[in-house]
Amino acid sequence: MLTRRFTTIVAIAGLSLACVRLPDNALGANIENVPAPPLLAESVSAVAASPDAGEPTLRARLDELVVAATPNFASLASPRSSDEEFVRRVYLDLAGTIPTGTQTREFLANQSPKKREQLINQLLASPQHARRLQYVFDEMLMERRVGTDVPDADWQRWLRESFRENKPWDQLVTEILSADGVDEQQRPAAKFFLDRKFDVDLITRDIGRVFLGVDLECAQCHDHPSIDDYLQRHYYGLSAFLKRSYLFTDPKTKKKVLGEKAEGDVKFTSVFTAEEGQTDPRVLDLPGIPDPEPAKELYIAKPASKVRGVPAYSRRLQLAKAMIAADNVDFRHNIVNRLWALMIGRGLVEPLDIRHSDNPPSHPEVLDLLADEFQRHNYNVRWLLRELALSETYQRSSRLAVDSEQGGDASAAFACGHLKPLSPEQFGWSSLVATGFSTVTMSAQEAALLKAEPEAAANKKVDPLWREETLHKALKPELDLVVARFAGQGGQKTGFDATADQALFVINGANVEKWLKPQGGVLTDRLLKLDSPELLAEELYISILSRSPAEDETAAVTSYLDSVSDRTMAIREITWALLSSAEFRFNH
Amino acid sequence: MRRDIGCNHIDHQLSRRGFVAGSAAGAVAIGGLLTPAQAEAVKSGQKRILQVFLQGGLSQFESWDPKPGTRYGGPFRAIPTSVPGIHICELMPHIAQRMHRLSIVRSLDLKTNDHRIGRLRIEKGRTAGDFPYVGAVASKYLAAENPPLPGYLHITTRGLEDNTNAFLGAQHAQLKLLGVNAPENLDRPASLDEESAQRRNEFRRLANERFAGRGGQPAFTEAFDSSFEMARRLMKRKSLFEQEPSAKDIERYGSHPFGVRCILARELLSNGATCVKVTHHGYDTHAENFNFHLEQLDEFDKTFCMLLDDLHDSGMLESTLVLIYSEFGRTPKLNQRYGRDHWGASVSVALGGCGIVPGAVVGSTNAEGTEVAEREVSGGDLFHTYFRALGLDTSANHDIPGRPVPIGDPAASPIEELLA
Repeated sequence: MLTRRFTTIVAIAGLSLACVRLPDNALGANIENVPAPPLLAESVSAVAASPDAGEPTLRARLDELVVAATPNFASLASPRSSDEEFVRRVYLDLAGTIPTGTQTREFLANQSPKKREQLINQLLASPQHARRLQYVFDEMLMERRVGTDVPDADWQRWLRESFRENKPWDQLVTEILSADGVDEQQRPAAKFFLDRKFDVDLITRDIGRVFLGVDLECAQCHDHPSIDDYLQRHYYGLSAFLKRSYLFTDPKTKKKVLGEKAEGDVKFTSVFTAEEGQTDPRVLDLPGIPDPEPAKELYIAKPASKVRGVPAYSRRLQLAKAMIAADNVDFRHNIVNRLWALMIGRGLVEPLDIRHSDNPPSHPEVLDLLADEFQRHNYNVRWLLRELALSETYQRSSRLAVDSEQGGDASAAFACGHLKPLSPEQFGWSSLVATGFSTVTMSAQEAALLKAEPEAAANKKVDPLWREETLHKALKPELDLVVARFAGQGGQKTGFDATADQALFVINGANVEKWLKPQGGVLTDRLLKLDSPELLAEELYISILSRSPAEDETAAVTSYLDSVSDRTMAIREITWALLSSAEFRFNH
Repeated sequence: MRRDIGCNHIDHQLSRRGFVAGSAAGAVAIGGLLTPAQAEAVKSGQKRILQVFLQGGLSQFESWDPKPGTRYGGPFRAIPTSVPGIHICELMPHIAQRMHRLSIVRSLDLKTNDHRIGRLRIEKGRTAGDFPYVGAVASKYLAAENPPLPGYLHITTRGLEDNTNAFLGAQHAQLKLLGVNAPENLDRPASLDEESAQRRNEFRRLANERFAGRGGQPAFTEAFDSSFEMARRLMKRKSLFEQEPSAKDIERYGSHPFGVRCILARELLSNGATCVKVTHHGYDTHAENFNFHLEQLDEFDKTFCMLLDDLHDSGMLESTLVLIYSEFGRTPKLNQRYGRDHWGASVSVALGGCGIVPGAVVGSTNAEGTEVAEREVSGGDLFHTYFRALGLDTSANHDIPGRPVPIGDPAASPIEELLA
């Protein structure tokens, strides 16, 4: 196990080192008036592209396959997104929030033909990106379960640091599936097991769904009645890795950890046919992994009431190896499908966790290509996200080029940008950024820093990591409220469900009310100081919708202001109207 | 655990015959598209649905289809009911006294043991595919023109996110109410008067019109709009959620969550709701099946009966279809943990009220309850039955432009003998 892990690290050393350096140039996605440090764009592409020397890029190949998959693609295709569309989209996808007005203006004013690539590099290297992936993978892996044995904060920090150092996906999964909770350093990784109370059935199902993209729930009791591919032995093959393990409470620390026995086989009976089966640990249709000849001593530590069982041969520790093994194609298909869905808005396989022969990928060649290349690039998540973000498929406008009747076709062909509902965290952060509440909070934190540490303040306050962590901590109470209201059933998904109570939060909620109160330099306060309705409309639209208003929109703002005697009220009202609009609610 | 068996006349010598009352007289099917006028006619009568969803999978043995003294029958007895010849499990003594208001279908085969698929089949009346739930169909065709409440309300503890409205407008999707809590934030902020609220909302509406149709996913923006529309309506009906249940109601229904939810359900149904679904959680009894059913049904039986009585006494039962159902039943065979597992092959459901012949039993299972013996029924058949009972022509197509989709599954048909 350890050997394999080290091998992985060595193999990606060149990449990680280069990537780890990137936070140097990180930009604070929530920071105004801090100039972006010089870019290392060239070095990123050089490093990221190195295994490809001379070959066409992944993005070029996937774009080609997407176009080729649909005969009338050209007639359905939307053009490339405008800069305004792009800047909002890419900030949301990579940094987890809309850009500030300042950041939007900066990007729009940039004349470089490479500015999209530069921005992508900049965002991928920012601490905000690690935070964004922390949110995404927390939801994907833990599905918004209530934390029990591993504190959420520890787990989230572990995730965030993993993404900050761009830990390869196979390594991350290895750490999760190998953790027993004993080693304090690795304990956060044990959350996947421990906070599911080590319920083997639940974990078996979730390993299938989360890491392999198959939902074997039904196959627990019998071969799946309507999905031919899902067999009972698939279910029990996975659970056989885990069946010998159990929750153990450490007598000293009182913490829950995992122990394991050296014996015990998995048998199963179909509730339909009463047929019996037996299986070694195995991942779906891959060969079983028989136990080695038993050693003289079965145990390193024999299980007892106060002794955590540690067998000489651990079945549980075979799981990660089998999962990330090169012959396990499902492992790669699953994660690239999920990352694709994250960026593009809909999976190549939908639903994301129900892949089987009657529900094949819409674009199998694309899925295969992504999976192969992801493996070849050592499961480098940042590299894949970068390729996706740079693709034409990603950058297409969401404005339909066809009649609305054909909208579904265009969307299914990936010929237009998809609407992506903002995640609860994206919605919360974007609201705080749009209303200027985050900027004001940041300034207050800087002032507090200057007071507390006058010497260190100058250096610290331009440190992107300090800024991100500080702002996040200060705004967490606000964010938590939004998340509690907007987070539905957990798990990564691409659908959209809006409830009346969410709307009520926006219509009447005290938080929104607070963000809109014109004080201390928030958006409504800034707008109040603008005498010209044109400038006001411009500031309003750039701040909330990351774009300039069209002429008729400026006119509508002007006449709104004219028609309402109380100017302060009028400004609050139109600010609210845009904050509660569909254009704000979706990434598009 | 408290056992509260209200009926002591337990009959051990059961004669189990399918008791079928009533006939199919009066049900008229009209082929072709449902015209707006027909839809309007259906609406004007204001019919409604009460769904009681026993989440997890109610055991048919411990409820509607007892098999005492047989291999898989379990420890509970069957008791006679107010309808001669119909016996149900002793865990539902209050229902036994009201059997003449309900009917039982004992021969449902859902052909799945999966929670999700079972739920979809029984809610959508289709074996697969993207179709609206019963509640969404009710909201679309039974709700008044401008209903005072959202058409499809679901009182639940949690709830799976589902595309309940499918191709029907998102305004027909379920609105989840978490317990009896009034949705928060029903009060307008003090700083905002009604005029300002309307004005800013109009600006919002115009902004949304401009954005609609992006990304080829109109359902997303529709769902978003409808959430605001629902919010507005709920604000107008705030008082519904604020009345404390009377001491008498609490005494009758019980102070437990299911009790107060049923009281709220009654209030919502009395105030213009079209479909109210109340979920009673906790029937997935993979372990300790008998103890759990004892506990669960003790809560369900009496509380549900109080709601049934109130609907009956107010005269609403005639225009309210009442459905009691799960996503499937439970295995005949016990597992090692004294549990019963998932079982879709011989499931029982109960229904009554609007348009349903009362006091009937449809279908039967074999002696040990391991399969359907007579009159196999599918989720699609039930779906037809529900809406035919409510006066909707389920062979007509949905009232949506350009999509000839029949309301009920053409491969299924209503249970005529249940239609009053």
